[in-house]
Amino acid sequence: MAKTYQYCVAENWGKGFIDHVESSRITFAGYPGNVWQVPAYNKHGNLWIAKVAGTVKTKTEAQAIVDAEVQAAQAVWDALPDAEKAPAVGSNTRPADITLEE
Amino acid sequence: MATYLGTHGSRIQNYTTDPDNPNTGEVWYNATANTIRVEAVTTAGSWAAGGALNTGIEKSGGAGTQTSALSFGGKLPPTTNGVESYNGTNWTEIANLNLARNALGGAGASNTSALAFGGESPSGGNKNETELWNGTNWTEVNNLNEARNSLASCGIQTAALAAGGNSTDSPSNRATTESWNGTNWTTVNNMNSGRYNLAGAGTNTSAVVFGGYDTAQRAYSESWNGTNWTETNDLNEARYALAGSGTSNTSALAFGGQPGLAGSSAKTELWNGSNWTEDGDLNNARVSLTGTGTATLGLVFGGEGPPPAQTLTEEWTGAGAAQTRTISTD
Repeated sequence: MAKTYQYCVAENWGKGFIDHVESSRITFAGYPGNVWQVPAYNKHGNLWIAKVAGTVKTKTEAQAIVDAEVQAAQAVWDALPDAEKAPAVGSNTRPADITLEE
Repeated sequence: MATYLGTHGSRIQNYTTDPDNPNTGEVWYNATANTIRVEAVTTAGSWAAGGALNTGIEKSGGAGTQTSALSFGGKLPPTTNGVESYNGTNWTEIANLNLARNALGGAGASNTSALAFGGESPSGGNKNETELWNGTNWTEVNNLNEARNSLASCGIQTAALAAGGNSTDSPSNRATTESWNGTNWTTVNNMNSGRYNLAGAGTNTSAVVFGGYDTAQRAYSESWNGTNWTETNDLNEARYALAGSGTSNTSALAFGGQPGLAGSSAKTELWNGSNWTEDGDLNNARVSLTGTGTATLGLVFGGEGPPPAQTLTEEWTGAGAAQTRTISTD
């Protein structure tokens, strides 16, 4: 099955990291661990990865980076006193697992 | 008479840098970048990366525009009284709030004129204190009538609105609305649906509030005409801990938030006074983020997705904005 997305790791330096023209051409999705998802087989996606000097990752590699970040956040949440977890409904919920798409 | 074509051998004017104020439809050659460019108009909205906050923050108050904004209070964690000012490029730390709090309301036209109100103290209590920012100092002014956190807020320093929120009173999901006239808060008509972790946009005479949580995440939307709240068409995606920007009950933007018991949303929806329409997604999905600006030129910063609190800033340009684009011949 042809993949829909490609992944890279790139640190968001702020202004100019993603500009409006790039954002209007392709859909970006940023994930924990500076993982970025852009369309696969797409010239504008490839150009953006080159611009930000992104390190291309396979979906499996990207998923492992995201999992590590989420699990660290879950561990912090699990260690909170029960009183801070109590009002979890509507705020401060346990960080959810994130599943990247192929 | 000499013509441009005759002098330059080209119908397209050469520039070493892009012209300052090109007309829509104007085409030129950028001799530095060796590209042909056109001044176009956007047909859909998009989020671009903005300058990063100095400190990651969630549940902060916000005020101002895309090029002149403030982030005040919030949670690192812990809850902070820290304030940062944005000039359209960079965030700078400035004078702190007198009172540390998170999930507070904010209003204001710029990074030199704002109002902070309500919120939750570091110990968890609800606050009713109001502070006014004049560009130099935060000064305590008259309190909200009802202490609460996670409320919707909008307006400017001299005319603001506080709606809904979470209180120790029963029911805890508040429908209370208060209007600020520059000196005092006055309790006005309630919202139709009490809820917290909702967002708002507009002024104290023309506003819209949307999303939120009571017993579940909600897609509810209500319009304020200065006197009464009217239920309107819902958001397409029910969510809470979202953010908004906009100038009135006919022009607003909703973005981010938590769409269920877990996870975060990147969805952006545009309100035209009748319907919410999906537009370009945030580049980073997150919850407990802060928004300010208009529905055409919006700003979002902070939030989490998942923790820790983030320094991310994104800048919204809506459809119809002028935009210089490179013409691709590949």
